[in-house]
Amino acid sequence: MSKIMTVDVLSSIKGAQPSEAVSKLFDVIKNAQTTNNTPSNNHNNCVSLNHLRADEVIESSALEKQIIKDNFPKEKNGYLVVSKVIDA
Amino acid sequence: MESQIQQIHRQLVDKEISCVDLIQEKLSALKENTYNTVNTLLTELALEKAAKVDAKIANGDTIGLLEGVPFGIKDVYMLQGTYATASSDLLKKYKSAYTATAIQKLLDAGAIPIVKENCDSFGHGSSSENTIFGAVKNAINPELVGGGSSGGSAVNVAKDHTVFSIGGDTGGSVRQPAGYNNVYGLKPTYGRISRYGLMAYASSTDCVGPIAKSPEDIRIVLNTMSGKDPKDQTTYSSEAISQDSILNTVNIKTVGYFKNFIESEAIDATIKSDFLASIEKIKAKGIQVKELDFFKSDILVSTYYTLAMAETASNLSRLDGTNYGDRVDDKDLKESYAVTRSEKFSEETKRRIVGGNQVLSQGFSDEIYLKGLALRDAISENFEKDFGDVDIILSPVTPNTPPKIGDSLKDPLTMYLSDAYTVGFSLGQLPTLTVPQGTETGLQVTAAKNNDELVLKFANFLKDTI
Repeated sequence: MSKIMTVDVLSSIKGAQPSEAVSKLFDVIKNAQTTNNTPSNNHNNCVSLNHLRADEVIESSALEKQIIKDNFPKEKNGYLVVSKVIDA
Repeated sequence: MESQIQQIHRQLVDKEISCVDLIQEKLSALKENTYNTVNTLLTELALEKAAKVDAKIANGDTIGLLEGVPFGIKDVYMLQGTYATASSDLLKKYKSAYTATAIQKLLDAGAIPIVKENCDSFGHGSSSENTIFGAVKNAINPELVGGGSSGGSAVNVAKDHTVFSIGGDTGGSVRQPAGYNNVYGLKPTYGRISRYGLMAYASSTDCVGPIAKSPEDIRIVLNTMSGKDPKDQTTYSSEAISQDSILNTVNIKTVGYFKNFIESEAIDATIKSDFLASIEKIKAKGIQVKELDFFKSDILVSTYYTLAMAETASNLSRLDGTNYGDRVDDKDLKESYAVTRSEKFSEETKRRIVGGNQVLSQGFSDEIYLKGLALRDAISENFEKDFGDVDIILSPVTPNTPPKIGDSLKDPLTMYLSDAYTVGFSLGQLPTLTVPQGTETGLQVTAAKNNDELVLKFANFLKDTI
């Protein structure tokens, strides 16, 4: 496989091409004057280690499980059917 | 306008109306409406809940303020057992397995969901035309767009089909349609309301936002939905905002506005003159008004779309017809993914996914994505500095009036640029409210982070001033 992945492959969208309208937006960013081109991460929404959610399994309700199964794109005998697995 | 929530509560308690009749009346109006605002009517669920409210009242039990009040939900929220389509072909048969935290809080308070509302697919749009349910028509002039992406929600509120609706705002998707349809729409401070159960568009700016006809109703709904949620770790605890606090407007001393927004060649002449006339009325009340410098509109729009596209490309990668969505089978898994996504995503959604993958790829990420993040930091720092000088920043909501249906889809760049006045505040994660006064598409009131109370206070001040 080629080392260069085109946007259609990256996006899993057949025949996808960069759009002219979007490229114009990117040109503005490329040409923008900034005092610092490296993000400072000052404004990230970091979570303190003390406030992390407990690492525990929460059992879903029977209704929730049933709806998840109903949403399976394809189902056979209670199993999710997937297409042939990617070739090695 | 007085609080519709308070009014309905009084009428229910005084037995002037029954809850079942109220809900039935709204459901009928929604069913007959020709504005394409409805994706799914929640008839059975709503009438069942209404009957319980009536039984409670008949029994002499006390009911809460929101109990029995009908509301709408943008079709990007989970409500267990109901369709959550995101107005997309890919998820048109998808049912919510669970309920979003914000919606659950409203249900717990007794409010009754009656409709899943039309919007731009996955929030991708500013006109509510990017949808499989037909373009949402403007409440004031049906030849024009309803705005977006929460267009169905804003039009339903404007037409009194819902008492309030819950939209979602990533770059202006509550504020702009609120402005186009002359209602109030709030984007709260990022993290004030849990995003759990809201389909992710751009996670770093996605906000749950109420749309209603008065600041008081916005306050009631905001208080109900706010709070820390272990299922969304960007949420924070906030104090409830009291009714009295937003009626007392004496401590607003200084208002600023970005002069480059108003001096821009892109702004409609009437919106500009109306905005400046509003500024004069505010000055006449003894408030000091300062002109502020800000980033150029094209920088704001480009920064926002660069980051939003990168985030949506990542968030929507799970929609492949195997994990989620309506699958189109092909010769193997990879081809099935690609064919499903190609056929089931709209052109606008594909444009944003491709743009996002472009900026995240090697060779582009440094000069576009990382620079976009650096620009976002600079924009946030600019806001921090400005809110050291002023209490409120006022701006128009949009540079122009709503376009005709059909025009935005032909010209995506113009559509992106129409978000010029809303996206900056999203990048800053600030509380910002559309007020249906001052210009044809309203005024946008913004305060410093976590100061949602001041925004509502200033909205009440404007009611008496303009």
